[in-house]
Amino acid sequence: MLAYIGRRMVFALATILVVSAVVFMIFAILPFDPAALTCGQRCNEQIIEANRIRLGLDKPLYEQYFLFISGIFLGRTYGSGSAAFSCPAPSFGYSFNENACVTDMITEALPITINLAVGALILWLTVGIGLGIVAAKFKNRWPDTGSSVFVLLGTSLPTFVTGLALLIWVTIKWKIIPLSLTGYTSLIDNPYKYFQYFILPWITLAIAYAALYTRFTRAALLETLGEDYIRTARAKGVGEQKVFFKHTLRAVLAPLITMASLDFAGLIGGAIITETIFNLPGLGRLTLRSVYEFDLSVVLATTILAATVVIVMNLIVDMLYAVLDPRVRLK
Amino acid sequence: MTQLLSIEDLHVSFPTEDGIVKAVDGVSLTVNSGETVAIVGESGSGKTVTSLSVMGLHKKGSVIIDGSIKINDGGTIKDVVSLNPSEVRDIRGRAVAMIFQDPMSSLHPYYKIGNQLAEAFEVHNPGNKKAAKARAIEMLDLVGISEPAQRAEEFPHQFSGGMRQRVMIAMALMNSPRLLIADEPTTALDVTVQAQILSLLDKLKKEFDMGVLLITHDLGVVAQVADRVSVMYAGQLVEEAPVDDLFYTPKAPYTLGLLKSVPRISANNERLKAIPGQPPSLIHLPQGCAFSARCEYRNLSPVDCAVTPVSLHTDSAGHSSRCHIPIEVRNPVFAKDLQELKS
Amino acid sequence: MRAISARQRATAVASAAALILGTVLVSGVSPASAATTPKTGGILTFLEHEPRLDHLDPSRIYTGRDLAFMNSFHTRTLVAYNPVPGNAGANIVPDLATNTGIPSNEAKTWKFTLRPGTKFEDGVAITCEHVQYGVSRVFATDVITGGPAYLQAWLDIPKDKDGNSIYTGPYKNTPAGVKAFKKAVACSSDNRTITFNLNKSVADFNYLGTYGVISPVQAKKDKGDKYDLNPQATGPYKIAENSKTQLKLVRNKYWSKASDPVRTPYPDEVVIQFGLDEEVIDQIILEDTLPTAMNFGGPLPSNKEKFFSDPSLAKRRMNNSDPYAIYLAFNVKAMPCKEVREAMYYARDAKALLDYAGGPKFAGSYATGVISPLVADDYAPTKVVGPGSPDFMPEGNVAKAKALLETAKTKCPADYKKATEEGITFDVRQSATLNDTIPINEAAYARVGIKVKWNIISSGYYSTIMDPAKQKDISASGWGADWANASTVIPELFASFGGFNLSQNSDDPNYKKFEDKVNLAMKTTDRKKQAAMWKQLDAEAMRNFWVLPTTFGKAQEVWGSQLANVFFWVPQGNPAYGKIWINN
Repeated sequence: MLAYIGRRMVFALATILVVSAVVFMIFAILPFDPAALTCGQRCNEQIIEANRIRLGLDKPLYEQYFLFISGIFLGRTYGSGSAAFSCPAPSFGYSFNENACVTDMITEALPITINLAVGALILWLTVGIGLGIVAAKFKNRWPDTGSSVFVLLGTSLPTFVTGLALLIWVTIKWKIIPLSLTGYTSLIDNPYKYFQYFILPWITLAIAYAALYTRFTRAALLETLGEDYIRTARAKGVGEQKVFFKHTLRAVLAPLITMASLDFAGLIGGAIITETIFNLPGLGRLTLRSVYEFDLSVVLATTILAATVVIVMNLIVDMLYAVLDPRVRLK
Repeated sequence: MTQLLSIEDLHVSFPTEDGIVKAVDGVSLTVNSGETVAIVGESGSGKTVTSLSVMGLHKKGSVIIDGSIKINDGGTIKDVVSLNPSEVRDIRGRAVAMIFQDPMSSLHPYYKIGNQLAEAFEVHNPGNKKAAKARAIEMLDLVGISEPAQRAEEFPHQFSGGMRQRVMIAMALMNSPRLLIADEPTTALDVTVQAQILSLLDKLKKEFDMGVLLITHDLGVVAQVADRVSVMYAGQLVEEAPVDDLFYTPKAPYTLGLLKSVPRISANNERLKAIPGQPPSLIHLPQGCAFSARCEYRNLSPVDCAVTPVSLHTDSAGHSSRCHIPIEVRNPVFAKDLQELKS
Repeated sequence: MRAISARQRATAVASAAALILGTVLVSGVSPASAATTPKTGGILTFLEHEPRLDHLDPSRIYTGRDLAFMNSFHTRTLVAYNPVPGNAGANIVPDLATNTGIPSNEAKTWKFTLRPGTKFEDGVAITCEHVQYGVSRVFATDVITGGPAYLQAWLDIPKDKDGNSIYTGPYKNTPAGVKAFKKAVACSSDNRTITFNLNKSVADFNYLGTYGVISPVQAKKDKGDKYDLNPQATGPYKIAENSKTQLKLVRNKYWSKASDPVRTPYPDEVVIQFGLDEEVIDQIILEDTLPTAMNFGGPLPSNKEKFFSDPSLAKRRMNNSDPYAIYLAFNVKAMPCKEVREAMYYARDAKALLDYAGGPKFAGSYATGVISPLVADDYAPTKVVGPGSPDFMPEGNVAKAKALLETAKTKCPADYKKATEEGITFDVRQSATLNDTIPINEAAYARVGIKVKWNIISSGYYSTIMDPAKQKDISASGWGADWANASTVIPELFASFGGFNLSQNSDDPNYKKFEDKVNLAMKTTDRKKQAAMWKQLDAEAMRNFWVLPTTFGKAQEVWGSQLANVFFWVPQGNPAYGKIWINN
């Protein structure tokens, strides 16, 4: 088991290195010059060149990459003379657009995204699996029909439509939930404000995912109900409730958990649309902004972070699966 | 000899979008203790539907059941058809147990073998976990699984197919049922394993003084273990007889057809004589004999088999058959054909 | 004022001024609440779509709206525009200085005396040395980017052989550079008077004093790049929070009313909320969910009709001319034939394009030149192009365009061939409206037989069209005056020494005599004479068809029901944010 995790970790590190190198390459190939982009309208070659030096783009690509990697372990100093400053290790670079160390930007954005993702996950698992169970249990009766309407709406309405509609109607027009402009408050500091801040984003994200999970849970339950081992359980004299909630649900759990873990990993990478609509300064918005502004160091850092989360979540899923499904053994 | 099961005029039909599927149409049969009764027929002949009806395993609402299925539950006769769901559940796995065709998929992949066995006991003896566990190990031992205590902690995927069928048998016997329904118990197994399972079943039948209702399409299996045989075709019984009578003097053209289609090693390498044609649709059954369209002897009938309804006739020796052809015409022709088969 | 930036939507323009002429350009100015007494207290909130302001550092701000905002609340400058409604708002008044600057030596030397009692937010008294240091920062062109570049061009500091100033700012420098700088920007022995020595006569140098590039900065607080995050306040508010979500200004206790003749702080706090969805912002204002809020970027085009047709919103909106002249710049090197350029002007369907952009109600009016009517002194219809010119037709003058092409056919056959066969290539910014405007343009030019092609630029628009090696035949841009003098328009756009020479027109045979007249106008200190010269030069530039003027723009503002005393501040082209108070 330990050897397995060790091997996977080495593989993960290699993947992250490759990912970062590829992002570096992409930025090198793109026909955009970040130095020219930051220099505004009154541009001339001298200003662009000065910018290039300031951004560290005057150095050859491999050296830039090396500086980036070494910054992670040793920290990095920027500028010269009395305007010099440094980002301590682990440094993922400096954003000249935001005038901040990338590591600080990430550590600021990460809690927001994690809180968004965790809350949404809890909500959509509860609603999605719950509705899926109801739909399967009352197959072809009104609860099933009702849930299929929800599935249809949830899967067909894009997040920006549901999010915007929720925000405009619930907050701005009906004023049910007060407009929250003050920013992120932690759950411990002020639970009321915390929920006020996150409830609509959670619902927005959860609707889309819950619909998928309802559909999946229902289909998986119905499929499992037709399995031979369920018939075996009934033949033993096991009651219907126990057949459903123990034997059937147990079989659906492993794929559900896999799905949830990977979806969760995807969200940590950034719920770009939801974060944008609700103005949550999380990783998704950070990524979007940095791509938009060609802020290479931030793009690199968020990409590496997203890749890391996906890789780690995959490892966790594999280990979870081994726990959940006795047929799977890690080698 | 106690009568354990008595099915009388059982009708099972499924309403579908295309019409009503008459899966079982007036089947009657009995199983006594110490006896193995085989139901033989092709896929779709209604044999599995009959067995599931006995277990009350049809999904409520999706099926119309008529007639009676009387089960002897320790002296009390209970009619499965008229019991409410919880009463049926009480019988299931205790008075009557069942083993299934595919042992690979009939065990829950996520639960330990021992727990799955113990559950069968606990359902009928609630709150007695320890006894259930002990019983599970005892039963695993009984069906010939070595180191049963250790293997009880393992999962189904760690067992071979034959071993899993032994586990299924052990599970069925957890509550010492009097009636055991075995639905194609050996079909999915290797030939060598088949024989072991059949002899195990036979041994246990004696030990537990059970009656066994064996569902199969394999006449070889029937010949090995059955005492009496019921042949089903298109939801109806077409012949019922003690096993030897059936094999030596089959009286229904369909049974003869089945016998002819059994592959055998013989001097003249004749090709297999499969029954021509397909079974009829269970939605649009002919008014007359359901087998008539495929029957090679129908010309011998004095009436038009396809339109004249035909009933089951029982002779003085207790041998029943369903056919329009007069018995005196049938006997010599069938005997001749059978003789040809044996030569 | 800079050109329209990629991210500015409608408003965002700076200090075009309309000085004396009472031209009514400012519609919907509604100091309806002017009769009521100002109230103090409350939180004034601005709702903004962008994730932050481009810059807060006074040396780097160059966007009209951001200047109007920061100068209203946070940053004091030597002189300031008077924050009053109407044309009087364009007058400059003393701010940190006690005067509006005293020129001498043919306006090559300018002296400002500092007001006593002014302080930074940490209580340090402001001296000449601080202003001198603030000015020095703009020479560090690798760190202090973004601001206006007039100081580098005008201060009398020697240049090296590449034409760069020998002074390179306060972060890394040479003794010779420092010496030269201190000679150009000198402090009196009492540290109260600052003297600017210029390398040429600049009659309106004091208008540059309204910009933060001439404002005090404490050397020990200067963190280079990072000063942009939290510059020291000199005005009535200081920065309490500058995050991804908001910029929050609170009262600066070291500011005193006695020392500031310009500002009258009303709200307790001023907040800009960043990153909000534009539709959400509009809905908040429409529904009046946050009655103390103002839409900082102006309403979405799709919501304008809603805002401006509902009578119940009459006191919560304004619709103004903005100081921009929008134009298409020909790359004259690539299109030397004047007749072809002129034909393109007459072939264009100005009406269809203006209507598409929102029509005269929201988008603006047909331009008559590049000097906006808001630069009132220097504006006059050129009578060469646009309304008032003999051949102008809003939907295009096809006959005239055809006739011009006919002339071009014999006079410059190569250009004619390019226009009619190979096609003229437009540099255009990738945008949502492109799919609609391209067909309008193609149809219009096709009427006279001109073929057009499109170079769609998804990123780095200005760095492409500013690069002679990369720019194609024609590109769209906009320009507003930096202050109420066309000296910040005509030379900037057309002179080879200007900062925004898109049209590459210096090889045109007519250029030399044009440039001589520009230099003469810049030297002319008699404002009336100078104004007449700018008007002539605007017309002359139009006659040469170096650019194709399209629109004098308009901008809209909307706000919540509790805001009072919102009025258009002519020179800043935006509301006078510092004069808004909150009723409740």
